[in-house]
Amino acid sequence: MRQPSVISRRVAAAAVVLVVVGGAAACGPADSKDADGDSGAAGKPHKGGTLTVLNSSPQEDFDPARLYTSGGGNVPSLVFRTLTTRNREDGAAGAKVVPDLATDLGTPSKDATVWTYTLKDGLKYEDGSAITSADIKYGIERSFAAELSGGAPYLRDWLVGGADYEGPYKGGKGLDSIETPDAKTIVFHLVKPEGEFPYLATQTQTTPVPKAKDTGTKYEEHPLSSGPYKVVENEGDGERLVLERNPHWSQATDEERKAYPDRIDVRSGLDSAVINQRLSASQGTDAAAVTTDTNLGPAELAKVAGDKKLSARVGTGHFGYTNYIAFNPKVKPFDDPKVRQAISYAVDRSSVVNAAGGSALAEPATTFLPNQKSFGYTPYDAFPAGRTGDPAKAKELLKEAGYPNGLTVTLTHNNEKNFATSPEIATALQEALKKAGITVKLQGLEDNAYSDTVYNIKSEPGFFLGGWGADWPSGGPFFAPVFDGRQIVKSGYNFNSAQLDDPAVNKEIDEINKLTDLSAAAERWGALDKKVGEQALTVPLFHPVYKRLYGKSVKNVVISDWTGVLDISQVAVK
Amino acid sequence: MAEALLVKEAGSVTVPASGARPFWRRLRRRRSALVAAVVVALLVLVALAAPLLSGIEGQNPTAYHPDLVDSATGGVPLGSFGGISGDHWLGVEPLTGRDLFARVAYGARVSLGVALGATLLQVVIGVGIGLSAGLGNRFVDQALSRLTDVVVALPVMVIALGALAVVPAGFPRPVLIALIVGLVGWSGISKIVRAQTLALKSLDHVAAARLSGWGPWQIARRELLPALAAPVITYAVLLFPSNIVVEAALSFLGVGIKPPTPSWGQMLSDADTWYQAAPTYLLVPALLLFVTVLALTVLGEGVRTALDPRAESRLRIGTRSKKEAGA
Repeated sequence: MRQPSVISRRVAAAAVVLVVVGGAAACGPADSKDADGDSGAAGKPHKGGTLTVLNSSPQEDFDPARLYTSGGGNVPSLVFRTLTTRNREDGAAGAKVVPDLATDLGTPSKDATVWTYTLKDGLKYEDGSAITSADIKYGIERSFAAELSGGAPYLRDWLVGGADYEGPYKGGKGLDSIETPDAKTIVFHLVKPEGEFPYLATQTQTTPVPKAKDTGTKYEEHPLSSGPYKVVENEGDGERLVLERNPHWSQATDEERKAYPDRIDVRSGLDSAVINQRLSASQGTDAAAVTTDTNLGPAELAKVAGDKKLSARVGTGHFGYTNYIAFNPKVKPFDDPKVRQAISYAVDRSSVVNAAGGSALAEPATTFLPNQKSFGYTPYDAFPAGRTGDPAKAKELLKEAGYPNGLTVTLTHNNEKNFATSPEIATALQEALKKAGITVKLQGLEDNAYSDTVYNIKSEPGFFLGGWGADWPSGGPFFAPVFDGRQIVKSGYNFNSAQLDDPAVNKEIDEINKLTDLSAAAERWGALDKKVGEQALTVPLFHPVYKRLYGKSVKNVVISDWTGVLDISQVAVK
Repeated sequence: MAEALLVKEAGSVTVPASGARPFWRRLRRRRSALVAAVVVALLVLVALAAPLLSGIEGQNPTAYHPDLVDSATGGVPLGSFGGISGDHWLGVEPLTGRDLFARVAYGARVSLGVALGATLLQVVIGVGIGLSAGLGNRFVDQALSRLTDVVVALPVMVIALGALAVVPAGFPRPVLIALIVGLVGWSGISKIVRAQTLALKSLDHVAAARLSGWGPWQIARRELLPALAAPVITYAVLLFPSNIVVEAALSFLGVGIKPPTPSWGQMLSDADTWYQAAPTYLLVPALLLFVTVLALTVLGEGVRTALDPRAESRLRIGTRSKKEAGA
């Protein structure tokens, strides 16, 4: 894959992770019927009121062309409707893709290289004008313009002619691989089979933008709403964003967004400790407040756990993510599968899970794919280490590998206290491997230096802590960037850390991409993960879990496994 | 503050009552200094005997104990007061279950060791530069004094943050921190030594020595250094706790000591979010740091007054203290 794509994909992955890690999802109260009277989460939701969103990161570049979202984003999805979107349901059901502006998930033809969508009837913008397929085409085209960069690279990679297209502003040319035979139909021509196109169509780039209303880089100040809310105030590039009802949005055309509050006030730039403190105090307007990017850290969770009323206001979210040990088999001694297996056996997942915040914030992982069905999760444990590791087995393997007296290796980690690739996790592994006769030296790097070093084949260490999340909940974007030999990037960001280039694996990836039956594809991803997992190219450590607080008058809390965060299109404050 | 006080005072010539015995006698008479000395001695003992003490406790500072924390609620230590028990004298660390006593004892080695190294370096450089400036010709004095002025203006923390980020990870961190703090923090001593040297130089016995053909080195060694000992020791004893604080601050900011080696500052940094959920975790290193710095400062004051009894009497003028100072 081309380098720029991968850079942005990585950035995106990081962004998604930030969003989720920054704020754990708070949910669960939706199904906790026994919540006491103080917590309104179980009450019947009503329209009206103002919902306050307390966030750490601002909603920067609020232009559908520029946003890099998973499933259309949380706040953006209130304003921007897309061809498809994520199912707004709790848990696993929320990892499904469903139609939004389109009547269905699209009709594939020619081996999933052509996708046709038909728009629903009665779709309108905030000014009352009708939404047409030409607007969707134009919205996608403008996302190719250099001045509106920021979105995911998939459209550029997948659409015929996308690689060389420079957007509609230069010479006014359109992209021929998107056809609009009539105002309700849009057809996409792809360079290769992509059975997961419906997932891509959830991103805000498929939001309609009428050419007549396009103001280029200024469009983000007042984008034309197609969703239930319109932007009435945007201060400090998304630091303060006030949304009010869009009178022309019709619930009849939108099965996903509930839009209970009349007004949504997004305040960003807050410290995560402040957000959690304000949500736990739940005073004044904070009673009707939620966060979409801040989670409870271990210490905060410990404090909340001791308070029944508070813990009733904590929701749990899962976002497909895996933290793992990555090996670079080009570096000795990790070229020897026995050494990699020995380390796989020596790992003590119980102390790693504790270092990551305990069993409430991390689930032990033995698969590379996240433990969710939509990714094709197929349970396997190629090197069963038990709860606390199997140092005896590890020693045996090391002996076979020619290290009867143990060996010394260096583990590279991030110095940032992120409970994912941080020193606590590294020292937990150091202790566990000590029991197997492996002396681990730690090399901690500052956040940026860490990413630059480990995700570049020129500087990639042999043994480091990594993490990976995908742009949508399926095996494709999760598995392929890490194990597809054609996605090894020679210069720039590379995520195929093992530099695996196995023709059989590559071929299977191509085969799965042709499948339009997403559950059949998921199964094949799971099987492929298991097969690759036996090579011990990574040691899966844990899947993070996110805990999120919300105010005491917040009702109808929904947290999907797609985002792992509280969906504000569902929240009611009355 | 201590620095300002001392620098001001440095203008006057202090010729201490010579001999170690009166010094000890005066120091012993100050009860606060005695208590402080005992505390410091205990801490040094704990630091030196860290392996022995944690061996008696049956723990080591890096072993994880996943079963001693409540994994389901964020990893709070099980049991009351942060899991204090016969096996874990000060309880365990949240998340990891590492033994706090062992970490604190080993952390003392780092905190005290780094501060000691840094202070010694500061003294050596400061005395060297100060003496050279005081004894050298006008050109040397000007050059060294301006250099000292520049170093005074150097922000220790900023330089340390930069240097720690640049130096390769393989370099032992405690040594590096001691080096940085030592190399940046000698200006106070050098100023005092220069001022004292200039004042001492004009005294008869030094002038006599010079007239009888002694070289600067000989004069420094025979005549000046003994007289400089009092202010230098005093200043060094006060620098020591501030160096502890610098190391703690650097480790607190995450650029100091590397895990798994414990240091008090790093423990404080890890503990700062836990003050509500596991207060013991924060209190143990915080109190230790507080007690250590306090004890050293009190001891420093004691040493200062014991070395220079007139300082105390000067301080008491107007207070009508019943107990007349000075021996």
